[in-house]
Amino acid sequence: MKRFFDNPAGSKSNKSNSNKRRSIAAVIITVLIFSLIFTMVSCNQQSGGNGTKVLNIGVIQFAPHPSLDNCYEGFVQGLKEAGFVDGENIKIDFQNAQGEMSNSDMIAKNMAASKYDMIVGIATPAAMSAYSAAKDNDIPVIFTAVSDPVAAGIVKSLERPEYNVTGTSDVLPLEAQLKMIRAFLPEARKIGVVYTTSEPNSVSHLSQFRELAGKYGFEIVEAGVTSASEVAAAAMTVVSKGVDCINNFTDNNVVNNLSSVLHAADGAGIPVFGSEVEQVKNGCLASESIDYVSLGVETGKMAASVLKGETKASEMAVKLISDSTPVYNSSVLERLGLALPAEYEGAEDAAAAK
Amino acid sequence: MDIIIGIMRNILEEGFIYGIMAMGVYISYSVLHFPDLSVDGTFPLGMCVTAALISSGVNPYVACVVAFICGACAGCVTGLLHVKLRITDLLSGILVMTAMWSVNLVITRGSAVVPFYNKDTIFNSGAVSLLPDGLYAWRILLISAVAAIAVKLILDLYLKTKSGLLLRATGDNQQFVKSVSRDPGTMKIIGLTIGNGCTALAGSILSQVSESANINSGTGMVVMGLASVIIGTSIFKRLSILKPTAMVLTGSVLYRACLAVAMQLGLPTNYLKLLMAVIFTFALVANNVLAKGKKYETPEY
Repeated sequence: MKRFFDNPAGSKSNKSNSNKRRSIAAVIITVLIFSLIFTMVSCNQQSGGNGTKVLNIGVIQFAPHPSLDNCYEGFVQGLKEAGFVDGENIKIDFQNAQGEMSNSDMIAKNMAASKYDMIVGIATPAAMSAYSAAKDNDIPVIFTAVSDPVAAGIVKSLERPEYNVTGTSDVLPLEAQLKMIRAFLPEARKIGVVYTTSEPNSVSHLSQFRELAGKYGFEIVEAGVTSASEVAAAAMTVVSKGVDCINNFTDNNVVNNLSSVLHAADGAGIPVFGSEVEQVKNGCLASESIDYVSLGVETGKMAASVLKGETKASEMAVKLISDSTPVYNSSVLERLGLALPAEYEGAEDAAAAK
Repeated sequence: MDIIIGIMRNILEEGFIYGIMAMGVYISYSVLHFPDLSVDGTFPLGMCVTAALISSGVNPYVACVVAFICGACAGCVTGLLHVKLRITDLLSGILVMTAMWSVNLVITRGSAVVPFYNKDTIFNSGAVSLLPDGLYAWRILLISAVAAIAVKLILDLYLKTKSGLLLRATGDNQQFVKSVSRDPGTMKIIGLTIGNGCTALAGSILSQVSESANINSGTGMVVMGLASVIIGTSIFKRLSILKPTAMVLTGSVLYRACLAVAMQLGLPTNYLKLLMAVIFTFALVANNVLAKGKKYETPEY
């Protein structure tokens, strides 16, 4: 690469001439292959339109994540219940952005360029990509698992989105969670929280949690982290401040490093409360969790009504889903020597499910 | 047909915008032989600065310039750490990249995502309003192409100046720079300043396309920039009519094209990274195979 700027005129030999010809050939072949592939793609997309019109739906999931997977599963189910079956009257193009913004933007733009009839964004960044790509083409966008769509700028208000965008929003049942912690630990005073400072959901959950905590006689001890490597140290810090339990939000980073948090809590013999059923299966004591499958089902039904032309996305209110169901883990309960509170007798035992 | 044109347009738009960054990476990586990791931090820096300025009502063109300057400052810091404090090239890049995370969060006032939908950007205000209606869909491509080509021409001009020649000499032969009693350290700092300025400018333009800034968007930028540089320069190495900046720009478009084609063909996104590694390898090997006629050169990558 050193010779890029050197003037090659002086050193040019007969050999380099033939090389040049060969490399030009290589370039031409590359271009040909590309155009060939493009033609194939276009043929693919034009087929399938015999008789009834097949609607194309693009789905972008921001990252591989169990809750988001559940959302998608529910979404497909919701569409099915409303009469839209993948492969029959609709064609779903599901893409996972692998947690990268540039992927998410590119997927959304390609979907908009392919003139899909609807784009669905699962999780906030995916919804934002879908919105900005679809804006010019007026393709309806449906989102799910977006905690605060107004703050993300994709709807004007929850009641009337104004833009051609609507969907469902998951609201973490923080109050129910505090009530549950109080029932399990009647003596507890301090709740530890580990959260990631760059996750907007966690920051807003923390401030709400702190406001509500006083009502139940709790004090919040928090530790912010910026990356996966800091979770273990932050959990240790929180534990060393003498908390009676640790509570998790839907913080992706902390949830992905749940074992570090559990390890720190186990050392001190205190329980960890989760935010969804998967965490309870993996060793949290209990949680009030949102059912992401039913969140997805709800979203699928909204999408179906837009596809049928019953309502416009811009006029359909965003649905907040905050119904939660309690779950607990009996083996963790036993290990910590705690008793199941009477009011949670009917709760689902996640240990049995595993 | 519309669909193909639409997808091609996206490829070109993104190719040009990321191409500006790739040219910055070209300056640090190929000209200076400096593996600059601070790019992962300066790309979102450009985005965050732009988001902060545009959402407080600053002219978008001014925002682009400020983003460039901020990126340049960050690049300058990388250079100073390396040259003045004698920290190794990789480490000084890592230090700046790490520090940028916090700086970016300060700029966005602690939020990871800053949307600025429906504000004035370079794509919907100023010169764009003069475009005829028929060209409206092409405005992003037009402006990003103009921006990329402008950056390319300015870089070409700069590299021909005395300072530009010294910059190239610094990467190849530091002894020579010293022999004409110039400081190769200063040249390195200048090169990194330009490179990171370009990166931040690319971030700024990209954030104006998506009308939002994301603090996590820097992940993988170094790799993307390097891929563009290597694909471009390997494929077109023997075409001496093309300037290296043009090769890099084309490389960036080819890189985006590969990704888009793979996705259109239904390749699950899980395999994208693997695909990129394969294309990367192919570009490197193809270069060696094509060079067979000549005496074997050890690759300098």
